[in-house]
Order: sequence, then C-alpha cells, then structure tokens
Amino acid sequence: MPSEDPGRITVLQGTLDLIVLRTLQSMGPQHAYAIATRLQQVSEDLLHLNQGTLYPALVRLEQQGRIKGAWGKTEHNRDAKFYSITEAGAKALTEETLRWRRMAGLVDKLLSEGA
Amino acid sequence: MRRFLARLLSLLNVGAAERELAREIESHITLIEDDFLRRGYSPADAKLAARRAYGGVEQAKELHREARSFQAVEHFLKDLRYGARNLLRTPGFTGIAIITLALGIGANTAVFTVVNAVLMRPLSYQDPDRLVTLLHNGTGPVAVANYIDWRDQSRSFETMAAAEYWTANLTGGDQPEHVAGLQMTQNLLPMLGVNPLHGRLFIKGEDLKGADHSVILSHRLWQRSFSGDPAILGKPISLNGEPYTVVGIMPPDFRFAPFWATRAEFWVPLAFGDRVLARGGNSLRVFARLKPDVTLQQARAEITSITERLERQYPGTNRRVVVTPLKENVVGKVETPLLVLLCAVGFVLLIACANVAHMLLARTSDRQREIAVRTALGASRARVISQLLTENLLLSAIGGCAGFLLALWGTKALVALSPAKLPRLENIAIDAHAILFLSAITVFTAIVFGLAPAMHAAALNLSGALKEGGRSGTDGARRNRLRGFLVASEFALAFMLLIGAGLMIRSFSALHSVDPGFKSNNLLSMVVSVAGSNEAEPARREVFYRQLVEQVRALPGVQSASGINHLPLAGDLWEWNFVVEGRSKPRPGEFPSAAYRIAMPGYFETMGIPLLRGRTINDSDHASAPGVVVINESAAQEYWPGEDPVGKRITFEANNDQPIWLTVIGIAANAKQYDWRSKIYPEVYLSALQNRGFLTSMRGPYLTLVVRTAGNPADMAPAIRRTVWSFNRNLPVSDVLTMDRVIADATAQPRFEMLLLAVFAGVALILAAVGIYGVVSYSIARRRHEIGIRLSLGASRGNVLQMLLRQGLKQALIGAAAGVLGALLLSRLMTNMLYAVEPTDPLTFIAVALVLAVSAILATWLPARRAVRIEPMLALRNE
Repeated sequence: MPSEDPGRITVLQGTLDLIVLRTLQSMGPQHAYAIATRLQQVSEDLLHLNQGTLYPALVRLEQQGRIKGAWGKTEHNRDAKFYSITEAGAKALTEETLRWRRMAGLVDKLLSEGA
Repeated sequence: MRRFLARLLSLLNVGAAERELAREIESHITLIEDDFLRRGYSPADAKLAARRAYGGVEQAKELHREARSFQAVEHFLKDLRYGARNLLRTPGFTGIAIITLALGIGANTAVFTVVNAVLMRPLSYQDPDRLVTLLHNGTGPVAVANYIDWRDQSRSFETMAAAEYWTANLTGGDQPEHVAGLQMTQNLLPMLGVNPLHGRLFIKGEDLKGADHSVILSHRLWQRSFSGDPAILGKPISLNGEPYTVVGIMPPDFRFAPFWATRAEFWVPLAFGDRVLARGGNSLRVFARLKPDVTLQQARAEITSITERLERQYPGTNRRVVVTPLKENVVGKVETPLLVLLCAVGFVLLIACANVAHMLLARTSDRQREIAVRTALGASRARVISQLLTENLLLSAIGGCAGFLLALWGTKALVALSPAKLPRLENIAIDAHAILFLSAITVFTAIVFGLAPAMHAAALNLSGALKEGGRSGTDGARRNRLRGFLVASEFALAFMLLIGAGLMIRSFSALHSVDPGFKSNNLLSMVVSVAGSNEAEPARREVFYRQLVEQVRALPGVQSASGINHLPLAGDLWEWNFVVEGRSKPRPGEFPSAAYRIAMPGYFETMGIPLLRGRTINDSDHASAPGVVVINESAAQEYWPGEDPVGKRITFEANNDQPIWLTVIGIAANAKQYDWRSKIYPEVYLSALQNRGFLTSMRGPYLTLVVRTAGNPADMAPAIRRTVWSFNRNLPVSDVLTMDRVIADATAQPRFEMLLLAVFAGVALILAAVGIYGVVSYSIARRRHEIGIRLSLGASRGNVLQMLLRQGLKQALIGAAAGVLGALLLSRLMTNMLYAVEPTDPLTFIAVALVLAVSAILATWLPARRAVRIEPMLALRNE
C-alpha cells in the first residue's frame, strides 16, 4: 500500500483546503484532475493522495463560498467542472496562510528548542 | 451558516447532487485516461490505469456525500425507522408508555393553557401593565369628590378615570331585560386603548349632565337583544324608561371591568352632576394609566401625600388609598391556586417520566444482547445512545400527539368545570403558546425518561452480555440504585400530591359543613326590576311589592314568600354607619357599621333564618308604625357585649338633628353575607315597608323575591314569572336561582381546586403504585434463580417473602420521607387556599402516609408472593 511509504506525507486535516485554494489562486480555474496533478508535481510526489479524496475538500470549499464550480471544456474538448477561487476564497487564503505560517513557526520553534 | 444552508439544500436535493457527482467523476477519469493515451498506453490499459490512479469511485462518492450533507440527519432518519420497528415489536410496552406520557403531557398542556390565559395575559387592553386602580385598601370604592381631587392634583398619571356599577331595565329590544352595566367617565375607554367594532367611543363633554344619554353595547348584548343589527347605531334604546342613543358596539372579546362588575354588558357616560362635592357614599372604582416614565412606587408615593393632605382637610375620607396594578386585581385571587395546580400537574408528569424510565430500563436489560452486537460491529457509544434517544423521542412524540388530543378535551373540561369567576375564561383555548409548551415538554420528557436508561445501556459490559447465557444472576448495583432512586422519587412526588389533595378535601369538607345560616333546600330566588315602569312610581311601588309577594304566596306549591333588596351570597353588599342611642357620637371613621339589608315581612321565616330573641319583621312594621330593625348575632356581640340589645334604639342619620330612630326588635342567627369563607360581619335588617329610599329611590328599583316551595323549586319559576307579568308584561325577571345553586356557586372555586388536585393525586398514586409494582416484579423475575437457591438451601418461604418486601419497601420509605419534607415545604404555599385546616394538618399527613404505605405493600407483596410460590428446582432448571 502506498500509504506505508515512509517518505510520503499524509495530508493534515484542513491543510488540503489551503493547498487547493493556493493552487487555484496561482493557476486560475482548474478541474479536479488538474488540481490533483499539480499537487503531485509541486510536492515532487511527496504528497500522495487518491484523486477521489480531493472531492470532500472541493465540496467543503464550494459550500463555504470560497470556490465556485462551473462546467466547461478542456483544451482537448472534454467536459470538465472547472473550479475558480472567489473573492471570499482569496481573503480566506490570506488569513489561513498567515495563521499556518504562525503555527508552523511555533511548532518549528518548539521542536528545535525542546530537543 | 452558509455552509449549513448549503447542506440543508443538498439534503433536499440529493438526486441532483448525486448526478452531478457522477458526471464529475466520470469526466475526471476520462481526463486521466486521455493523459495515459497520450503517453502511449493502449485504450484498455489507459482505462485501467486511470481507474487505479483515481482510487475507489464508491469511496470517493461516500466521502463526497459525507462532506455534502448532514450525516447526523441521515443517521437520525435511520434511527427513527429502526426505533419505530422496535416499538412496534413490543406493542404492550409501547401502548402503556404512550398512555402514561399522553396523560402527563396532556394534563400539563391543559393546565398550562388555563394558567397562560388567566395569569400571563389576563388583560386585552393596550399596554395593560401601565394600568392601575386607586381604591381604598386596594379594593374599596371611592367617593366622587376624592376622585376629582386625586385626578386634578396628581402628576403621575396620563389619564385617571372612574366607573360606577349600574343596572338598568332594557326595553325596546327583543324582550325586557334587567342588564348589568357601567357608568364611566368619558376618558375611560380611550385610556384602555380599545377600539369599537362599530360606531365610536364616548367623546369629550358626553359625560356632562344633559349630554350623557348615549350608550355603548357589548357584542353579546347587541347579538342577544338586537340580533346583531348594525342599524341600531344612532337609534335610541330605552334604559330604565329613558332614551339612550347607541353610539358604539364593542368587539366580542372586549370586557370591562375585569375584576368587579364583570357581567357589565353596556356602558354609559357617568355624569357626576351635584355629586362633585360628595365625600360620603363611596361608589366609584378609579382606574388610571401611569405616565411612561413614572414607576408604580413614584405614583404610590404621590397618591399617599395627596391623600394624607386630603385626610387632614376632610377627616375619615381618604384613608389607605392604594395604587394597585390592574392585573393584580384581576389575577390576585386565583394566582396561588393556579400555580399550585401547575406544580401538581408537573409532578404528575415527572412521575409519568419515572415510570416510563424504569420500563425502559427493564427493556434495555432485555436488549443487552442486541446492543452488545451492535457495539461489537463497530457502533460507537455515542451512536448507541443517540439511537436509543431517538427511539425515546419517537415514543414521547407519539405521547405528545396523544397528549395534544387529551389537552384539547381537557382544556374544554377545565373551562366547563372552573368557577365562573375565573377571569378571562372566554379567552381560554389552545394557542401557539400552548403548542410551543407542549413541544418543549415532549422533548424534555424524552430526555428525562430516556437519558439514564440509554447511558446505562451503552455502558454495558460487552463480553459479559455476549456470552452464551450471559445473563448475570442479579443486576449490577448501579442499575439497582437507579431503579431505587426512581421508585423513591415517585413516592416522594406522589406523597406531596396526595398531601395537597388531602388538604383541599379536608378544607372543602370543612367549608361544606359550614352552616349558611338559612335552609337552602327548596328555596328559589329571582330579581324583579321595576325601573322605568309605572310600578317604579313611589306611590305604586310599595303596593306592587306587597301584592306581588301576596300573590306568589297564594300560588299552589308555594309554602311561603318574601322579598329582600340583596340576596345573601349572590347579591350586592351595602354597608352603613349608625349610632346607638345614648352613646356619645363617635369620631369620624369610628362609627359602628353594619351590612344593611331591607327585608319584606316574612323574610326570616321564608329563608329559614332562626330567630334567637325577640320577633321578626311583620306586616305591622309599616310606614306609619315606629321604626324597627332586626340585627344579627354578630352585631349583638360586637356592639352590645354583655347587654340585651332588644329594645335599644339606633339611627343611620347621625348628622340629622331629628333622626329617625329604629328600635331593635329581634336578633337573628348569623347568615352568610358576601363571601362563603369570610367571617360574618354585623348586619342589620330594616323593614322594607318603612324604608323610603327602597320604595322611592331610582338607584335600586328592584326586589329580590325569595320563595320556599313544596317541591322542586326550579319548577315554580314559570308560574312566578307569569304572576309578575300579570301586573306588567314589561317587568324583567332575572337571576332566577335556587339557593342550593347559589351555595354551589359560592363554593365553586374551592370545589374546582379540590377536584383537580384530587384527580391529579389519584393519577399520581396509580402511576406510582404501577411503578413500584413493575419494578418489584421485574427485579423478582430476574432473581428467580437466587430465590430458588435460597429456598433449596433451606430458607423458608416466609423468610424470602420478608426479604423481598423489606427491599421493596425500603425505597418507598425513603421516598415517603423525602415526600414529607417536600410537602411540609410546599403546603405552606397553599395556606391561602385552605379553610379551617392548617397546611401541616397531622390527620392529612397520617392518612396520606397510610394510603401510600398500603399501596406500596400491596404493590410489593403481590409479585413477591408469586415469586416464593415457585418450585425451587423448577426455578433453578429454568436458567
């Protein structure tokens, strides 16, 4: 099972939302497959996820009004649902990023000092 | 919030969301496939690879669904279906539980409906909390000049208005009628903030002499006498023979006044005329609306300083004037009884809950295996509890629905049973408040009776319950403690309820055995009013009264007949100051005073009021004979202690230089006066034939006939009415009442309270007895094995029976002890409801303790006896 590979990271609860938002902000409207591919590329395959597991995050974000989904055509003329970040999503991303940085800094500090 | 709405929407629109999801997943996989194709995979391989890369489609769907919707709601619906199946599987348990809950919930809703209508929203006027009354001692009427001074000198009130009771003969409608009404200052109705249904309210200046002949009708009177015809507006009707123009008609729910003269059916302007300077003859009820920024305390302080100043100026006229919220006047008398009833019915609900709780407890014991299996298969404890709670909620919701039907009926029954004096009776109906209340107690009930058993069930020892035959020999100590607690609290509650009911029964029987002072059987009374007719003329009135009484006496079936101004218990009560001959004139405010009745000859004989000394009023006590008066025993004791009053003289005209002296000719036994419960005040009876006021005044031109009959008194009413009409077809005859009925009405409120408390206490007792019976027989059934062992090891049946009884009764005893404490605390609240009984009445406490003890012993003994009768070997083999 891939999840037993020690080098891979399991996604922390809640951080997936942040990553999806960030991806949509930097790349513009994307469909779920593109988002998943992009995640894998950026993380250099450290971050592994079944592509289906993206859906809860997408639904959650859509219900919160942070992203919006609309059906469109891919460059190869396939039907796909494209998600784009909303204004509220952009705002939430700024806040969450800040919070994440603070949190990560804190954890990092604690880990290095506590040793 | 937004997410919540979205979830809610998606819950309603599951199909669309599912289709959308399927489409998206499909497109996603197609995109992966395309990629693989571009990398040179064969179509079949690309398809497979895409599937693998995507992961489990169904898992993805499930994840999506979970995020999309309320899983909780779906669980809830599932639990609900499961619960319904479970309840249907045990119809006996379900039926009993539902009936128990319906009783508790229904009774509570019915009582709440009454309390809510009467206590919480008693006044249908605008901003009723700002309305106050200004009355002597909080209840007594006020003189005209005092009202005018208060009105002109005070600054705390937006408006101050006054009203006076008035009855009149209404002619010109469908039939002549003696109706009760009010005369009121023009500003009163506008002060209440009410609007007429048709027409208008009184306008400025309409309460001045000469302009005051207009009338506003109540909806009821308008319907009854004028068939609800709006054309009556602007037309004159005849009140006491004088024309009054109908200017307005009030809506059906309008009542005024709410606490006194509640039968008023019409309103006319009150013109003071030359009474503006009168400080004697208190007859007004004064109402006011506080200014928005003035508190009750400020208004009280101001009125106190005004009345103290006036009291110095006019001694004896302005004592103890109290500003009281109008609402307090209306609900004051019924507040305690209604709250006591609400408390009592709440206890019934708690007992019902306790009963259902241990029924559930027993049931969950039987369901241990099922719950254990569910837990073993992965149901979390929270899930098990929520499943059980859902089942309970379903149970109590059904109970609540049945309770609603019961409450519909119960509210009607309550209104029908309740004393007519209960304010705002006509407003009582199940409304949104009551339904909210019902829903709240339904949920509350489900939690109260269901939480403890559910937690118990979920805390089960898994492996123990699953073992084959894993039923433990006896129940765990915790569960037994919970059962014991339930039984004990049921007994405590039942004890308190029974004390309440017992006290009311004692009080009522004391009330009922009170001697009214007259013989009420076979006695009929009715009011004949001459107002506005030829018979009212001073010259004719005396003749008419005498001839009427004579002709009624001559009717077959009549044993005797007489007349009085106001009937005891049903009529008004007038009081007057007098002085005794030869004693120094008292200071103002310290005059002897007495209730004042004016009787026709033969009154005492007809009523059956015993004469203690001297003689009664007879035909010889006419206008040209010396004035006479009969006093009651209380007056003799109060004003002639140690003396013989017969032969002494009194006068009601203290300020007259040549007063009319009345000689005391007899002492009659005390008869009830105004209120059944209050003590009897000094009372005097004057001869009607000598009383010019009675025979000439236009302010009370009516006579109350009293007739003693040979047979059923009610049967004589038509003949007597025909006799009245043989004099004049336009004379209204009203208030046809048997004296038995008058007494029943006078004791209606305590009877109502007693009846309800007794019903609640009875239900409580039955529920508590059923409860203890159920618990004991259940626990004995589970201990058959143990009993079998004890018996086979040589314990005698008596020993075992004793043991079982001791254990069962211990809980009842603990409960009863708690009940005694609770009852001692709570029964003090009832002090005002009780008559001649202390709230700690030992007899009641002992009787209740006995009743409860007997029911506890019976409820324990019956199952225990059955248990020890078994064959020990049979019981052992049975396991």
